[in-house]
Amino acid sequence: MTTPAEMTDQQADSAGARNLRRRRLRIVVRHAILVAWALVILFPIFWMIATSFKESGEWVAWPPHWIPQQPTFKNYSQIFTFDTMQKGVAREATEQPFNVWGPLGDSLLICTVSALIALLLGTFLAYSISRFNVGGKHFRHAILMIRMVPPIVIAIPLLMYYAIMIPLAAETVLGTRIVLFDTRVGVSAIYIATTLPFVIWMMLTFIEEVPYTLEHAARMMGAGRLYTLRRVVLPLVGSGMVVTFLFVFILNWAEFLLALTLTHPDVVTLPVLLNKFQSASEGRLFGPQAAIGTIITIPVVVLGMLIQKHLIRGFSFGTIRK
Amino acid sequence: MSEARIAVPESAPAGGSSRRRLRDWLAQERVFRLIPFVLVEVVFLFVIIIPFLLMVYISFLKWRANRPFEQAFLSGFGNYEQVLTAPGFWSALGHTFYFAGCAVVLELVIGFVLAMFVSRTVRARGLYITIFLVPMMIVPVVVGYNFTMLYIDSGPINQLLAPFLEPLGIDPRIRWLSDPAAAQWAVILADVWQWTSLTFLIFLSGFSALPKQLINAARVMGATAWQIFWRVELPLLKPAIVIAVVIRSMEALKIFDPVVLLTAGGPGTSTQTIAFYLWEQVWVFNKFSFGAAASILLLIIFATLIFFGIYLLVRQSAAVAQQRAP
Repeated sequence: MTTPAEMTDQQADSAGARNLRRRRLRIVVRHAILVAWALVILFPIFWMIATSFKESGEWVAWPPHWIPQQPTFKNYSQIFTFDTMQKGVAREATEQPFNVWGPLGDSLLICTVSALIALLLGTFLAYSISRFNVGGKHFRHAILMIRMVPPIVIAIPLLMYYAIMIPLAAETVLGTRIVLFDTRVGVSAIYIATTLPFVIWMMLTFIEEVPYTLEHAARMMGAGRLYTLRRVVLPLVGSGMVVTFLFVFILNWAEFLLALTLTHPDVVTLPVLLNKFQSASEGRLFGPQAAIGTIITIPVVVLGMLIQKHLIRGFSFGTIRK
Repeated sequence: MSEARIAVPESAPAGGSSRRRLRDWLAQERVFRLIPFVLVEVVFLFVIIIPFLLMVYISFLKWRANRPFEQAFLSGFGNYEQVLTAPGFWSALGHTFYFAGCAVVLELVIGFVLAMFVSRTVRARGLYITIFLVPMMIVPVVVGYNFTMLYIDSGPINQLLAPFLEPLGIDPRIRWLSDPAAAQWAVILADVWQWTSLTFLIFLSGFSALPKQLINAARVMGATAWQIFWRVELPLLKPAIVIAVVIRSMEALKIFDPVVLLTAGGPGTSTQTIAFYLWEQVWVFNKFSFGAAASILLLIIFATLIFFGIYLLVRQSAAVAQQRAP
């Protein structure tokens, strides 16, 4: 190897040009690969949005239509109109209005309430773990275990618990029958339990960034414990709480297995609704399905983009912080 | 609470003394620190631990949902024997590990390459990151449904393949979801499409945390790009790699949603994962005590993996913290 100082000007020029050319080629190849993957990512999303504007004849046309030839809002109007017709009236399968309002309400209610409760409980516990080392050194790892257990293992006992044991227990103790199966409370309760580990781990990372000396100073000046928590700590982790809330909301919004197994037929969340279309009895209604899919997807993608910088904390359980 | 700021005002509300005493008691450190702990433990007790104990009890019963629960009688380890001798259980377990293995390897490789490229680009970097992270936020059910649209016989994937297949005399309308091997890969690819975004994200943060001075020093000392990659960057990225492997494998072993949406376990049982198998046994065939026994066995199998995973995660997160501390 020759060091730059030993080269003549001409040599340096040609070497530099070669290097430059090689670098430019490398950059082009790199961008080509990245653009290719971006197309792979965007293609199914594009296809869903395109299908949601297609007439029924175009759903499975061969060759497939990439752009809807007669764009229509029919699929959207179908899922957003109330089902005013009597049940049992025969209709053509493709004309059947599927109402998205009920599931939308259920999903919003369950996800918001359970995320809020999990956020409150989890934030205080995270504070307690961070400041007082509650539960010992390995408590936070024990919590993590709950998240790693496959949800089907939780779903089977919960079904029996909600459908059998709570009614039996309530009848003997309270004299009334309480069934948690197929109720919003039941679904929310399990969502709270399954998302608590995420909340605790995310909030731990945010709370540990708040210097303890601040609280110490407040305490020295005579502030009560709750006052310190409310006026010193919470304002500093407020944005972290918003991020955590949105993250947990997205998780709940996407949850399918527990919602499918613990509800039928009253409470329907959006993923369960989408799955209903997929069953053979309804036929494959690609258009309305695509419309529902688009409606489910767009709000959470927007929310997710808002917290993009913090997604890594959530998904890596706080092991990676930025 | 604002009166607690510096001095307690004289005018405490009437009957406030007992309330204040309660508040003082709650404000002691030994009590205060335990309040959230107790609350969360109560949630876990009622939603997870009691149901789990119930499941252990039911797994020893001989009971299907067609008879009242109270009349079921104990059958000892009969259910466990049934599960261990059921071929469906083992094949579903095998499929789960096969899917998870293939999907995680692909996700790691693609995610790593993408993260490396993105960390080295300057132009449109933010745009690439935003696009690559989108699949992570999409509901898995929607992903499964999307891919059914793409995989159907007259779908766009077959259209894109048609120019290559038609000259060979093959009918381009391949039935992706009806052939056992193709259906398995259909599920795996849907998972890869969605979760490569997560490995990409983990590796990207790993790449952006690489110490620049160290790499520059190596370059100055005459190391080639290849040497820098193998000897400097890769060892520094090890924690990120381990974290990605652990987190993705734990999630991949739960795979359920795309299976339900894409293939419903078929054709035959070729895409039945363990989650789908148990769901079918309990919710379709109502074999409750069988399901309970199976999920306890599953928990035992997974617990060792989970312990090992958490151990690795904790060790690597300590390494990450050390690396990033200046």
